[in-house]
Amino acid sequence: MNIWKRILAGGALCAVALGLASPALAETIRLGLMCPLTGKWASEGQDMKNIVSLLVDETNAAGGINGKKVELVVEDDAGDPRTAALAAQKLAGAGVVAVIGTYGSAVTEASQNIIAEAGLVHVGTGSTSIRLTEKGLPLFFRTCPRDDAQGEAAAAAIVKGGFKKVALLHDKSSYAKGLADESRKALEKAGVEIVFYDALTPGERDYTAILTKLKAAAPDVVFFTGYYPETGMLLRQKKEMGWDVPMMGGDAANHQDLVKIAGAEAARGYFFISPPLPQDMDTQEARHFLEAYKARYQSVPVSVWAVVAGDAYKVVEAALAAGKTDPEDMAQWLKQLKDMPGLTGKLGFDEKGDRVGEFYRSYMVDEQGKFILLPQK
Amino acid sequence: MNLRTLAGILLTLCLALLPLVAGSYWISVCVNVGLYALLGLSLNVILGQAGIFHMGHAAFYAVGAYTTAILNTLYQWPIFAAMPIAGAVAALVAMAVARPIIHLRGDYLLIVTIGIVEIVRIALLNDVGGYTGGSNGIFGIARPNFFGFKIVKTVHFYYLVWGMVAVSILLFYGLWRSRYGRALNYIKEDDVAAEGCGVHVTSYKLSAFVLGAFWAGMAGTLYAAQMTTITPESFNFMESVIIFAVVILSGGSILGVLVSAFLFIGLPELLREFSNARMLIFGLAMMLMMIWRPQGLLPPGPRRYHVAGGSSGPRDAAGGGAA
Repeated sequence: MNIWKRILAGGALCAVALGLASPALAETIRLGLMCPLTGKWASEGQDMKNIVSLLVDETNAAGGINGKKVELVVEDDAGDPRTAALAAQKLAGAGVVAVIGTYGSAVTEASQNIIAEAGLVHVGTGSTSIRLTEKGLPLFFRTCPRDDAQGEAAAAAIVKGGFKKVALLHDKSSYAKGLADESRKALEKAGVEIVFYDALTPGERDYTAILTKLKAAAPDVVFFTGYYPETGMLLRQKKEMGWDVPMMGGDAANHQDLVKIAGAEAARGYFFISPPLPQDMDTQEARHFLEAYKARYQSVPVSVWAVVAGDAYKVVEAALAAGKTDPEDMAQWLKQLKDMPGLTGKLGFDEKGDRVGEFYRSYMVDEQGKFILLPQK
Repeated sequence: MNLRTLAGILLTLCLALLPLVAGSYWISVCVNVGLYALLGLSLNVILGQAGIFHMGHAAFYAVGAYTTAILNTLYQWPIFAAMPIAGAVAALVAMAVARPIIHLRGDYLLIVTIGIVEIVRIALLNDVGGYTGGSNGIFGIARPNFFGFKIVKTVHFYYLVWGMVAVSILLFYGLWRSRYGRALNYIKEDDVAAEGCGVHVTSYKLSAFVLGAFWAGMAGTLYAAQMTTITPESFNFMESVIIFAVVILSGGSILGVLVSAFLFIGLPELLREFSNARMLIFGLAMMLMMIWRPQGLLPPGPRRYHVAGGSSGPRDAAGGGAA
C-alpha cells in the first residue's frame, strides 16, 4: 500500500513541477525539434538532432539571430503517432516559435493539428505523403519533396535508362505505396509497361518467395519503393538466387547501411533517385556544413532525411533573421522564398508549403559499395 | 478495504482537480493514461478475472477505432452515436474469432490471440473493402459533440476519457461482486472444479471475452476522436503487449489497473528529460517491480461477506475461492 502511494505522490509532484517549469526566456529564441530518438528510426532521429544542434551552435557562435541566442528544444516522437502527438503537445507548451520535424508521414500527421492549433510554424522534414500539404494548413511547410514529385522523377529515370518492362514493389507503408502509385501513374503516361505490382511485408528475413514471383514476371528492372533494410535484403537474396536484373529504389534507400546489409558485391549497380547528400554536392554551403559536421562528430551524415532537417532550420533561421517572429508573418515570408542556398540545394516554397525546385538526382552503387552521384543531364 | 476506499476517493479527487494545476502537455499525457486504463480495465475482465491469456486486445481496439472512423467520415455519424456500434462490432469480431479457440489453454490461446492482432493489422493495411484507407489510414474524423458541447480541447478529452473510466470502474466493480464475477474467478482458479460445480466454462469465458472486446471497441472510439487520424501502425503488436503488461503488473484489481496504467504511460513521459536513455530506465524500473512484487502491484483482496444474523452460511462459502 505504502509503496504505490509513495510512487503516486512522487509522480504527481514531478508532474506538477515539470508542468510549471518551462516559461520561455525573453533573451533567447526557442525552436522545437521533433525526431525519433528511440524506436525503429532512432538512427535518423539522432542524426537530425546532431545536425540541427550543430547549426544552432554555429548560429549562436556567430552572435545569434539579431543578437538573440537560439535554444533548441528536442522532443522524442519514437516514430509512433501517439507519442508524436504527446511530443507535439509538449513543444506547443514550451514557448517555441516554430517546430521542425519529423521523420515518417503518419507520425508528422499526428502532430500536425496540434501544432497548427497552437499557431506555430511547422516545417516537416522526412514526410513526403501528398495529403500533408493538401489539407490547407497555412503554417505547414516541408523541406522534403512530395511523393508525386519523386514518382515523376523515378519515371523519368526509368525512361532514360531505356527500360520497357517494370516491376513495382512496395512495402505497404504510406510512403512506399504512395511512391509506387505515383510512379505507376507517371510510367503509364510515358507508355512503359508495368508487369508486376505488389507489396512485401517489411521486417522479414526471407524474401525469396516474392523474388521468385518477380522473376516469373520477367521485368527489365525492379523498382522497390520501400526502405533500405528491405532493399538490402532483396539485393542480397537476389544475388544468392543468381538473378541479375537491375534494381532501383527511391529516396528511402539512401542510407549507407544498405550496402552493409546487402554486401558490396550484391549492391553493385543498384541505383536510386534521391535528393543529394552534402558530401556529394559541390556548393559552398554543403562543403562548409560537411567540414563542421566531420570536425564535431567524426563521421558524415548517412541519410538525406536528417540533412533536410538542417535545411528546415536554415529557412526558419532566415525568416527570423528577416525579423519575421510572428508565425503568420513567418509563413508569408517563407511562401515567397525562392532559391535560397541550402544544404541539399536551392530552397523555396509554394503556396501550399511544398518545397519547389528540382532536387532529385540519380545515384549508383559502385564496386566499393560507395554511393556515386550520377552527373545531371 | 477501508484504506482502499479512501485511496480511491483521494485518487478521484486528485484526478478531478488535476487540470487546475497541470499544463496542457501533462493533461494530454493523462488522457493517454486514461485511455490505457480503459483498455486495461476491459482486458482485466478477460485476463485478470477469468484468467484467459489474451494478448491481442489491440485488435478489438483497432476494430472499434476504425468502425468509428468509417461511420463518421463516410456516413457522418456523430462520434457518440458511433460508440456503441463500434463496441458492438468489436464484440462481434471477438465472438467470431474467439468461439473456435476459447477452449485452448494458457500459452496456446496466447499464441492464437497474437495471430488475431496481426491479422487485423494486416487486413487494415490491405484496405479491406476499400474502407480502411490502407497504410494511409483514415483522417478527418470529427470531434465528439456532447449534447451541443463540442469536445475539442485536451481538457475536454481529459474529462471525457476519465468520465468513461469512472463509469467503467463502477460497472466492472459491480461485475466483480456479482455471481458472474465469482464464476469467472472460479474458472481462473480451477476450471475443472468450476465445470464440476455447474459453471458452464466455455460460455462464461466467451462472454468475458466478448464483453472485454466491447469495451476495447468503445475505447477505440475515444482514441479515434482524440487523434482525428488513425493508421494501422497505431494498433500493432506492441500496443497489445503494453495493454497486457498493464493488466499483469496491476495484479488484477481495478485500482491496480489504474496505477499500472499511470506507470506504463506516465513514467516514460516523466523520463522524457533523459532523452534516449528513458526507455532503459523504464525497462529497469519494470524489472525491479517484477522482482519486488511478482504477484502484481495490487492483487485483489480476498472476498469478504458480512454474515447477517447467522443464516447466510452458504453465500459466504461461495465467495471463498479468490486468493
